[in-house]
Amino acid sequence: MDQIQVSSVSRSFDSAGTRRTVLDNVSLSIRVGEVVGLVGPSGCGKSTLLNIVAGLDPAHTGSVTVQGRPIGEQLGAGFRVAYVFQEPRLLPWYTLAQNLEFVLEAGGFARSEWTRRIDDVLQAVNLDEFRHFYPAQLSGGMQQRASIARAFCIDPDILLLDEPFSALDELTARTLRQSLLTLWQRFRTTVVFVSHNAFEATFLADRILVMGGGRITEEIDLRATPRPRSYDDAALFEASKQVIRILQTQAIAGAA
Amino acid sequence: MSWRGSLDARWTLASVATLLGLWAVASWLLPAAVLPSPLRVIAAMVALVQTRELWSDTAVTLGRILMAFGIGMCAALALGSAMALSPRAGAFFRVWIVCGITVPAIVTILTVYMVVGMNDRGAVLGAALTVVPFLAINIREGLKSIDNRLLKMGQVFRASRSQVARSIIAPQIAPMLLASARFGLGLVWKMVLFVELLGRGNGVGFRIEYYFQLFDMTNVLAYALSFVFVMLVIEVGVFGVLERRIFRWRRG
Repeated sequence: MDQIQVSSVSRSFDSAGTRRTVLDNVSLSIRVGEVVGLVGPSGCGKSTLLNIVAGLDPAHTGSVTVQGRPIGEQLGAGFRVAYVFQEPRLLPWYTLAQNLEFVLEAGGFARSEWTRRIDDVLQAVNLDEFRHFYPAQLSGGMQQRASIARAFCIDPDILLLDEPFSALDELTARTLRQSLLTLWQRFRTTVVFVSHNAFEATFLADRILVMGGGRITEEIDLRATPRPRSYDDAALFEASKQVIRILQTQAIAGAA
Repeated sequence: MSWRGSLDARWTLASVATLLGLWAVASWLLPAAVLPSPLRVIAAMVALVQTRELWSDTAVTLGRILMAFGIGMCAALALGSAMALSPRAGAFFRVWIVCGITVPAIVTILTVYMVVGMNDRGAVLGAALTVVPFLAINIREGLKSIDNRLLKMGQVFRASRSQVARSIIAPQIAPMLLASARFGLGLVWKMVLFVELLGRGNGVGFRIEYYFQLFDMTNVLAYALSFVFVMLVIEVGVFGVLERRIFRWRRG
């Protein structure tokens, strides 16, 4: 079942008198529980598309609907969006538990549910014993893990991630991808993530949409690759090479 | 108390002792009428504490300081927020601020005395007005440095306005407000002494001027020091406690 429908969305920015088109007539649909990766060079419009799907950027043409209704209406009617940024963006004056309480309050959850939800996600990402720590007392990887837990604790209808692991070393990134998949398996949330790492995208996604010049240029279907996936899987490696090939071809075409 | 705490305490003690020592040395080199020794001043303070004069002057001055501080802080908050949030207000008030900072305090105070009258209202208003531009600049800069990325986080998770104000904005501007309040109170109390000296018949500033006319430096310093103590109590008892509350999360 299609959950999110993006139809003919365009977005341009005016800067210093010139008009720059960042998204050019993009259409896509995302099914419930699907993990979709947006891959492409910087400036290709992936983050802009993510913001539009989040309902944060109303200044676009075309439509974004959720279960047939405009995203803005759905957000008012209890449809929940969670977001993981490139940096953790935790509130430094709150403990981990308080940071989770912040989004639970924002999401309108009854206070009686808070403890259960916080316990649940913090245990899942192995941060339970750090619940009363302030973010500055934790490593960058743990902070980002906490921000993933924060995203899931509101049981979102859709989870958006904007290059969530790009600021971490590969080893930390691997454990965090695992945390993400553990929670995803539990909640079966619809996930849209942005990445510039072809291998990360193939490891996580059911479907990869390759973007270039404000359009979706290619789609790679990985639904046939079973989960849980392994970093040593030859099929994944092949798929990631394919993504890189597409990106390289685009880069050469763009330079010419 | 931690090792670091006791180290800090030792250095504070050493610093106070050095200051008193320097004062004592200077007082040996100069005539007692020009710079009395610390001991003489302390003896005068002990005598003063037993008079009603010191207490009533201190109370009057403290009242004026709090009034002027309240007025100055409120005006600066309004002005600083307007300048931080609206580019038009920023452009409009910039000239006022620059003028306010450049005009000597004595001109402001005398003008206010002439317009409002040589009364308590004039004194409080004059002292308040001189500090507004400095505080407004502080507040504007503090508000401008609010982290947009955290605001966006609140927005995507659909936090309400009050939640954003309480959990994202307030904790970010609290340190700036505290610093501004400290700075403002320090500035206001000097201004209040100044307005008292210029045009009031009571208060610590008036008393200092009075003893200065009598060339009684011992009592000038005794009055000044007594009031410094009052301000120290406010600093440690009010601002120190607030600071510890605000920065609890920073002590890892």
